[in-house]
Amino acid sequence: MNGETDVAAPHALERFQRPALFLGAGALAVCAIGAFFAPAQFFRSYLSAYLFWTGIALGCMAVAMLNHVTGGAWGLPIRRPLESATRTLPLMLLLFLPILFGARKIYEWADPARVAQDPVLRHKSLYLNVPFFSIRALLYFGAWLGFAYFLNRWSREQDATGGRAISRRLQLLSSAGLVAYGLTVTFASIDWAMSLEPHWFSTMYGVLFIAGQGLSAFAFIVVVLVLLSDRAPFAGYVGPRHYHDLGKLMLAFVMFWAYVSFSQYLIIWAGNLPEEIPWYLRRLQGGWGWIGLAILLFHFVLPFLMLLPASANRNPRVLGAVAGLVVFMQLVNVFWMTQPAFAGGRLRIHWMDLLAPIGVGGVWFGAFLWQLGRRPLLPLNDPEMQQAAVHGAH
Amino acid sequence: MSSNPMHLPRVYGLLAEFERPEELVEAARRAREAGYRRMDAYTPFPIHGLSDALGFGRTKLPLVVLAGGLIGCATALGMQWFSTTIHYPINVGGRPLASWPSFIPITFELTVLFAAVFAVLGMLGMNGLPMPYHPVFNAPRFAFASRDRFFLCIEAKDPLFNERSIRAFFESVGAREVVEVEE
Amino acid sequence: MSRAVQPGRGGPPVIEPGHTYATVTDKISSIVLARRTPLFWVLGFFASFTLTMVLLGAISYLLAKGIGIWGVNQPVGWGFAIINFVWWIGIGHAGTLISAILLLLRQEWRTSINRFAEAMTLFAVACAGLFPLLHMGRPWLAYWLLPYPNTMALWPQWRSPLVWDVFAVSTYASVSLLFWFVGMIPDLATLRDRARRKGFQIFYGMLAMGWRGSALHWYRYETAYLLLAGLATPLVISVHTVVSFDFTIGIIPGWHSTIFPPYFVAGAIYAGFAMVLLLAIPLRAVYGLQDFITMRHLENMAKILLATGLIVGYGYVIEAFMSWYSANPYEGYMIGNRMRGPYAPVYWSLMLCNIVAPQFLWFKRVRTSPPVLFGIAVVVSIGMWLERFVIVVTSLHRDFLPSSWGMYFPTIWDWATFVGTIGLFLALMFLFIRFLPMISIFEMRTLVPEAGPLAMQPIPEHSVAGEEG
Repeated sequence: MNGETDVAAPHALERFQRPALFLGAGALAVCAIGAFFAPAQFFRSYLSAYLFWTGIALGCMAVAMLNHVTGGAWGLPIRRPLESATRTLPLMLLLFLPILFGARKIYEWADPARVAQDPVLRHKSLYLNVPFFSIRALLYFGAWLGFAYFLNRWSREQDATGGRAISRRLQLLSSAGLVAYGLTVTFASIDWAMSLEPHWFSTMYGVLFIAGQGLSAFAFIVVVLVLLSDRAPFAGYVGPRHYHDLGKLMLAFVMFWAYVSFSQYLIIWAGNLPEEIPWYLRRLQGGWGWIGLAILLFHFVLPFLMLLPASANRNPRVLGAVAGLVVFMQLVNVFWMTQPAFAGGRLRIHWMDLLAPIGVGGVWFGAFLWQLGRRPLLPLNDPEMQQAAVHGAH
Repeated sequence: MSSNPMHLPRVYGLLAEFERPEELVEAARRAREAGYRRMDAYTPFPIHGLSDALGFGRTKLPLVVLAGGLIGCATALGMQWFSTTIHYPINVGGRPLASWPSFIPITFELTVLFAAVFAVLGMLGMNGLPMPYHPVFNAPRFAFASRDRFFLCIEAKDPLFNERSIRAFFESVGAREVVEVEE
Repeated sequence: MSRAVQPGRGGPPVIEPGHTYATVTDKISSIVLARRTPLFWVLGFFASFTLTMVLLGAISYLLAKGIGIWGVNQPVGWGFAIINFVWWIGIGHAGTLISAILLLLRQEWRTSINRFAEAMTLFAVACAGLFPLLHMGRPWLAYWLLPYPNTMALWPQWRSPLVWDVFAVSTYASVSLLFWFVGMIPDLATLRDRARRKGFQIFYGMLAMGWRGSALHWYRYETAYLLLAGLATPLVISVHTVVSFDFTIGIIPGWHSTIFPPYFVAGAIYAGFAMVLLLAIPLRAVYGLQDFITMRHLENMAKILLATGLIVGYGYVIEAFMSWYSANPYEGYMIGNRMRGPYAPVYWSLMLCNIVAPQFLWFKRVRTSPPVLFGIAVVVSIGMWLERFVIVVTSLHRDFLPSSWGMYFPTIWDWATFVGTIGLFLALMFLFIRFLPMISIFEMRTLVPEAGPLAMQPIPEHSVAGEEG
């Protein structure tokens, strides 16, 4: 691997960028029309879609920082896609505005009449109120954008100059960044999703979100890598060893996510307390149970069994397919975690529930591809790259 | 009975000593090319590609472990389900007789326990260990196989076994010393 | 490619330059095969053996009188026994973590610390296992916990986390023992070949089971070792998860918290690495093992200590926040009682030990100073013990019924049992370092420069990383 290698992004990226953007904008426009007739439904559908795609962007930031902290050649081929995803966060700040505007339609606690009648909500109104909610959202985005900015800037510097000093700086930034990420995502998940059912609480909730974000982001990046794998510069660089590592890490993420989910379920199921168990009752009865079962089977069992044998991990097609399934199931999972709050016990899926993820996702994906095309696809000047070239050749 | 009546006591094989792992792997590869099949190498640590060079096939051990895991899993689930619903059904705090979420932890533990025991016993069994006596230990310098020397042994059972040609072969691949190992 | 001497990310090496297969072998095996037992070993073993005798006395008196000699009462039915059990079992996590998870992550630096960390795991689990057995009151009936066809046709209560714990801890002990022993077989063969005295030759020869380093054996051995690592990784996480279920499945404020499983696991790794540091720092000094347990090892362990300390801190923050957010008066009272109640000094010391102390590890100068690291490891070990004290005692001593509120004070017998297990643990450790190789010799051979790229660290290549989750 030398400096002459062409690491520019292939033109194919541009071919998908515009269609994605148009598809997303179109879907959002249709949803906007829907908002005119069913405003509450629009905001609720939009919330799930927003949480899912923001989760991927944030998860990518966390995975990138994790790689800076721990090191490891597995991170080199995916670093640039991860960084591109973090550069979509300003867009996500913009896309947060509808949630702010629609807070009253989404959150029970934002409705003064409900709060007045409910002593629990009155107790929580110190925390759960719209001004503080907005300030916190700004704080979260402030932290995320700050870390994303330096992560990208220093990585770019390293591209130009190379050197271990920058690696060490990135490592320190990422250690602090992971601490900040853990705390902000935890409280963001409480604000944006857990407070949909404001009586319910679970101390595991933030970890559940972190695990879901990490898993879906990692799977998303694997999909991107597999799709680009037969083009330069990945074609000559990414080998079976990379896929093997990524597959094993994805298996670890799948297991961690399942572990966290099952632990929360078992504790609440065994406790069977009236203040906790309704959350699961709403999600396991009246049709929602089938979605829950599908999540168990296709978000854990099938990916787990597919990723277990080493042969599957070394086959990019199989790996990409499993990763795609995981990304999709995380979308379903976010839907299953949020929407039963509004459903009143019955499973119903509105057309906007299907269209909003396409809308937000199309715009987000377009922005992601645009960012991906703007920088070299491999961090050639990273000191680990030389070693990785040997590593990948086995 | 003896395939090689010229030698008394019977010969187990010829053992060549090497100083570096690269030499050993190269010698093993060339020996296999030369047509030798009944041979084994002895090294102080695992060496990358040596078992391929010697032409050993893939081990079935992962399947043994998988079987162990499945047996453990079925045992645990079966035991808990049978005892709570059939053998001694009793209402505990209104929970269902078959409390599947509660059965998971023990199921997991027994799966791991059985798989691990199968892995260890399977490895020892396939390797034929414990084995109190083996002819290669008769070679005077063999104790260095557990320190810093690398050995290749072509066994007398090999159809092409011929002491002279093997000695010549070992010398051609840079063996430091070649000794005859008695049965 | 001398990757051992020049690790990828800079910094000190995992083994100092100048070593060969022979020097590595001779250096480590000479510790065991030396004719003369060093004086500090004799003194140390004597001291810890004395403490073990204290344990023996405490247990004998307990068996004669019953657990009334302990401080447990109503409402605090779980006292020192459970605190110490959780503390020890937590310490026991680092060994398997280092051996299995770091192996799967291809962290070469694990090689020189995994063996004694695994031994530490076994001895810590042995100490932990004593407590629930003794706490049962009639330990000779411990077999009632097992599923066997008894005359009353009774079965264990599968819905009880205490029964899960029996399975989790015994599985963990068994698998750790297998992992430790399998990892040692090639080294036992080395000792057999190098021992000069007949007794030692027979002793190590029996244990080595005729290992001769055959290439085919190595191949299967590596496969088995990796599979064991893949199995042990989820196992180690499950064990402390099940321990956390002992609390969370109970619907008591301060116990019934969903964050407990990952937070307990992080706490276990935290305490475990603190104990590895407590052992490694003196060991490398007295046996002159600085070449093998280098600054890199200490620094990496310090980093893991910091990371897990932060996760534990996260658990405290979320717990405190949720007890307010829940709007549940009992939850709110629980955290207020911890912070301002009769055990408040314990709570605040725990915060000081577990959250404030590890923050010093952000500084490289602290991470690379063995005495300071040793001090922080002591503080963390105390902090993790206090954490279990707070969880167990503060939640129990304020019952839902104020009429049954009470206090818990440990008695001299509680302390004697606890201190005695530390003696037992150290005595076993001393025996281990005297009679078994405390560093994996064959894996160290793969790290010396002359080994080159052919030397195979047991890298996950053909195998599965996790079997059945």
